[in-house]
Amino acid sequence: MKDVIPDRKKIAPFLLFYILSTMQVGVGILGYQNFVSQFAGYDAWISVILSGLFIMGILYLIFKMLEIADGDLLDIHTYIFGRKLSKILTSIFILYYCLIVITIIRNYIEMVQVWMFPIIQVFWLALTILIMCIYIVKSGFRTIVGICFFSFLLPFVIAPVFLFTLPYADFSNMLPIMDHSIVDIIRGVKGMMFTITGFEMILFFYPFIKDPRTSRKWGYFSILATIILYLYLIVLTFAYFPPDQLVKNIWPTLTMWKIIRFPFIERFEYIGIAAWLLIILPNVCLSLWIASRLCKRIFKVSQKGSLYFIVLVCLVATSFLLTREQVTFVTDIAGQMSFYFIFVYIPFLFIATLIAKKVRNHGKGS
Amino acid sequence: MEKVRKCFSILLISILLTGCVKREVVDDIYLVEGIGFDGGEKGELTGTVMIPVFLKDKPPENLTLTGSGSVTKSILQNIQREAAFPISMGGLGVILFERKLAENGGILHLVDAFQRDPAVGTGIIIAITERPTKEIFSGHYGIRGNANHISHLIKHNIKVDDLPTTNFQRFLADFYQNGKSPYLPIIDKITDEDLRITGIAFIRYGYVVDSIEMKDAFFLKLLVDKYSNGLKRVKIEEGEAAVRNIRSKHKLKLVNRNPYEVHIEINVEGIINEFTGNKITPEIMEKLEKQFMNDIEKECMKLVNRFKEKDIDPIGIGHFVKSRTRHFDFDKWMKEEYKNLIVRVIPNVRIAESGVIQ
Repeated sequence: MKDVIPDRKKIAPFLLFYILSTMQVGVGILGYQNFVSQFAGYDAWISVILSGLFIMGILYLIFKMLEIADGDLLDIHTYIFGRKLSKILTSIFILYYCLIVITIIRNYIEMVQVWMFPIIQVFWLALTILIMCIYIVKSGFRTIVGICFFSFLLPFVIAPVFLFTLPYADFSNMLPIMDHSIVDIIRGVKGMMFTITGFEMILFFYPFIKDPRTSRKWGYFSILATIILYLYLIVLTFAYFPPDQLVKNIWPTLTMWKIIRFPFIERFEYIGIAAWLLIILPNVCLSLWIASRLCKRIFKVSQKGSLYFIVLVCLVATSFLLTREQVTFVTDIAGQMSFYFIFVYIPFLFIATLIAKKVRNHGKGS
Repeated sequence: MEKVRKCFSILLISILLTGCVKREVVDDIYLVEGIGFDGGEKGELTGTVMIPVFLKDKPPENLTLTGSGSVTKSILQNIQREAAFPISMGGLGVILFERKLAENGGILHLVDAFQRDPAVGTGIIIAITERPTKEIFSGHYGIRGNANHISHLIKHNIKVDDLPTTNFQRFLADFYQNGKSPYLPIIDKITDEDLRITGIAFIRYGYVVDSIEMKDAFFLKLLVDKYSNGLKRVKIEEGEAAVRNIRSKHKLKLVNRNPYEVHIEINVEGIINEFTGNKITPEIMEKLEKQFMNDIEKECMKLVNRFKEKDIDPIGIGHFVKSRTRHFDFDKWMKEEYKNLIVRVIPNVRIAESGVIQ
């Protein structure tokens, strides 16, 4: 039941760097400082580094599994559980990625509503974003990767702008180091969850990479790049805000932009928020692509048709989230699901793959 | 054909989107550049907004509108009723509070509205005024509008004179920081065209509790900020010298616990610009340096003791001690340890040059 991908639809291995980095940087980065520092306080920068290490470990497991099963997540499930059960398990991910799409779009629209246009309606903005995404996704995986490359540059171009906060920075805010227990710091890793997910999408497009073994190092580099960006940002945030002020701010990254003034622009947030649309675009596109492709492979419907249907569902669901509490609720669920998927399900799957491999070899041998 | 139809439908939908957003044409709104709050009767405040009206070939005219209310937003609503155009806060650059209001009613609840508003930047200036802000705004200062003048006056003085760094972000960060207290500049109207910074006010939990005059501000700046271009006069029996191009840095050192002892090292570098005596010999330079150090130590200790008395901490000694102590207990610090704190000011002055003549 393996899907053989023709070479012309595949991408070069080094592009994995851009895809994974861009998938990780999304809406989370604009407000993650509070989630991480909830338990670990201003030692949370250590949590950021720790989460990077954990993620690298998980990525290693993922690569190993993909190599053994030689395909994508559906193939891994089939390798372990057989065809019928694998279809049921994989279809859960269709719902998961619909939830991701809804969370990303609704969080972004909420930001636009609070910071720029209070009376804009969720439905119309979501419709525009989703139509744009349909256009990109319909053109295929390679087009999505093209957008990934483009939107990879943007955070790294905007990053130096944060240095404008240095005159107000007080790095002693983070002293004394390790004033919190190790347990608290590890709990801070859970707060990084929604910000750091995205790299696991490789489970769904691995067959589209030419010469996948050489793409591995690019995967690890991308996590390194993202963690460096998050670390840079969180250290600057902790230096800029005292703890009581940080807790008050819902989007600390955006508030940091309030003090930046250029001769041609009075306030930088407006540029930043508009640019952020380009940054979340590949996240939404790839999630839609994954969900529709899974529909095609499991239910044997056309990818185009399932794309339209999924977009409709996401559009309707997004429009129902009206208050801040609802948005936070949905984001929390998405964060929890990501956590269990990455830190519980994938290790479990890895062990199951190894067992399945042993069983098969045993069977072959005898 | 397919592509053309798609593009067309996308364009059509984007046109529909324009109905979703409020239209704000720059010429048809009142862009508030400054706002001031005065105390009134029974908790009702008077708010004054300063709006520049741009005229052709002339400097902008200052339009002031006044309204009353108990919260910022109701004041703005009140003002809106007499404004011909919608009021927009996006261009806000200056917030003023009358000293009486700041001493009795506090300014925190008023500041909240500006913190919450996404349109208001955090690089704006907050200041305290001796007389009602309405009077301050009704002057004619500068050539680019009153609010602009006030904003530039303060920013300029931070760079080249004795005013320590102050703006909205500094105020908020100092306020929220445990172990630190905020300070704000005090400005006053001298004549209809003259505005002056007359002192620095210290805030405790949102209320103005103390202030110093600008002549003492030099020593405050040494303690809380860095100098990059200051000026100070030093007097010895041979004459009086003006030391300028002053650069300074301060460093806190925790020397002892139980009771806490903190040393504040202040390094100052400068050159002599003016001397009323005869010749400047190396001995005189040394004498000047010594005298300068004595002045600094005396005045800075005076300030430190004054802060301890009034239970404020603009230098941030509490925050500093916390950064050197595990599991620091702020309640204990505020109740007893700050009062028992021993502080020593250790200045170090180096006068590098003395101009082109001796």
